[in-house]
Amino acid sequence: MTSGVFFITSKYFRKKDNIRMLLLLVPGLVVIVMFTFYPIIKMFIMSFFDWKIGYNQVSPFVGIKNYIAVFSDPIAGIALTNTIFYAAVTVPGQMILGLLAALLINGIKKFNVTFRLLYYLPVVTSWVIVSLLFRYIFSNNGLLNYLLTDVFKWIPEYIGWLSTRWPAMTSTTLLGIWKGIGWNMVIFLAALQAVPEEYYEAASIDGAGYIQKFFYITLPNIKGTILFCTVMLTIGAFNTYTPIAVITGGNPAHQTDIVLTWMYYQTFSSFKMGYAAALSFIVAGIVAVISIILFKVLGHERI
Amino acid sequence: MKGYKKSMNMLKKPRIKSIFINNKRVLLSSILIRYLLLLLGLTVMVTPMIYMITSSFRPNSLTFAYPPKIIPDTSELTVENYLYILFKENFSKYMLNTLYVAGAATILPAIISSMLAYCISRFRFPGRNIIYGTIITTMLIPGLAMLVPQFELAVKFKLVDNLWGVILFYTAWVTPFSTFLIKGFIDNIPRELDEAMYIDGGTVFTIYRKVILPLASPSIAAISIFNFLFAFEELGWSQTILRTDQVRTIPVAITQFFQAHNRTDWGYVFAMTCLSMIPVIILYLLLQKYFISGLSSGAIKE
Repeated sequence: MTSGVFFITSKYFRKKDNIRMLLLLVPGLVVIVMFTFYPIIKMFIMSFFDWKIGYNQVSPFVGIKNYIAVFSDPIAGIALTNTIFYAAVTVPGQMILGLLAALLINGIKKFNVTFRLLYYLPVVTSWVIVSLLFRYIFSNNGLLNYLLTDVFKWIPEYIGWLSTRWPAMTSTTLLGIWKGIGWNMVIFLAALQAVPEEYYEAASIDGAGYIQKFFYITLPNIKGTILFCTVMLTIGAFNTYTPIAVITGGNPAHQTDIVLTWMYYQTFSSFKMGYAAALSFIVAGIVAVISIILFKVLGHERI
Repeated sequence: MKGYKKSMNMLKKPRIKSIFINNKRVLLSSILIRYLLLLLGLTVMVTPMIYMITSSFRPNSLTFAYPPKIIPDTSELTVENYLYILFKENFSKYMLNTLYVAGAATILPAIISSMLAYCISRFRFPGRNIIYGTIITTMLIPGLAMLVPQFELAVKFKLVDNLWGVILFYTAWVTPFSTFLIKGFIDNIPRELDEAMYIDGGTVFTIYRKVILPLASPSIAAISIFNFLFAFEELGWSQTILRTDQVRTIPVAITQFFQAHNRTDWGYVFAMTCLSMIPVIILYLLLQKYFISGLSSGAIKE
């Protein structure tokens, strides 16, 4: 069964094939180790130094001072709160609306593909473009204020959407949800189509209604997909940079910064590399912990 | 078993039909509600896009005119914005840069990650679990979070102001997830096919080329679209690395242009964004099957 160094599944494999296999393995490993894994290790080391980036600069060891600096920095707190707010609203928001769209589309025959294509359009449009567009729509004299005050008359006065913290975060969150619905819809549609039709037929005979069918058949059967989406979207939410950078740029006074924009600012405007490294390590830790918890809570389905 | 099922179907059919006839009104109205809700959602989804397109045809002086118009008067329409972007700005250069980056950052991960996925899926070699664990871990960490050490690396390899600085890092960022997804797909390809090829005198390479690549192509296509869109739109890293005008990609160029024009010349900005969407829209319409079946191969796996 074994040949050479490698234990290979088929007894037919020859020794030469170990070298061939290694050739297939190496390019990917080199790229990942050099450009992702090594930076992660380096970042961990940097977070204990007052890191300087120029030539002939000495980077003094500062222990856990960078971590203390992050935890005692009010703006880092604001950035982290904003990021968690963004994740906590956009992830369930786009999943619920995406699932709703998928359920609606799954029940119709005509224009099925048209709806899918158009709902998916915001997903293929780049973040820079949709962020600029939302910045324009949410501006003081913009389309949204016009619709809310003059057309529908829901609110008496304009809202300065982008000038204070929470309205600005709300705008960005709405953008995140709007852009994500199509992606969730496509994934949930595929999941819904994989649920065996017989289950629904049996439930109909037993007299179950739409709501009962949804909670007792649909939801348990798409649990794996829900887990997949939650993990992917949570990672994505913590990875958000472009919408904030384009829409508010962290203004006013870093009130709307999220972790990546704040880290970017610390790196290239304040040159506090060690601080930025500590911050990103904390964020990476949070994401890893959240993912592990999600896997534990939502079960061990293979995704 | 088959006969039993058939007879059950025959029994069931008239009953379901009768339910259907009895409840026809209810069913019709429920379908109507579906369409109404979907249309409502559609309005929210496409109005901003339509607004962007119509705004790109309005002169800059009117972009802050009140009230805003989703459908402008025909007398206002102008192509001046497009002419400005196409002939006064380096737009074609930015577009070529972007397509070069996105193309390379699609093909490289497709090759690398399918090879990696094949090895991890098919062979049991020492260190395999460590490699797979590393891949899963790096998947969880946002690419931009490693900004500082990656920037140092880019400086060391003279990759600043170089399109390859962007390409190589994008490749490294997307390879873990691509590998994860393709591996899941290869796991479901029967091993007998490999072995048959092997008995016929094939090597690991021929199996990869003639069995794995063709059979795993749906997952490779899906992830490639994902990777292309990512490389086409990424801003944080590209604006860090690409600092001169010659190497700028579209996302960087649009943001720079927007800031340089005092954040007001929305007509120009939207002409630029609409133009930059053309390649993606063409791709979208050509490959819509792969887009809207998307990453489902990775999401739904028993």
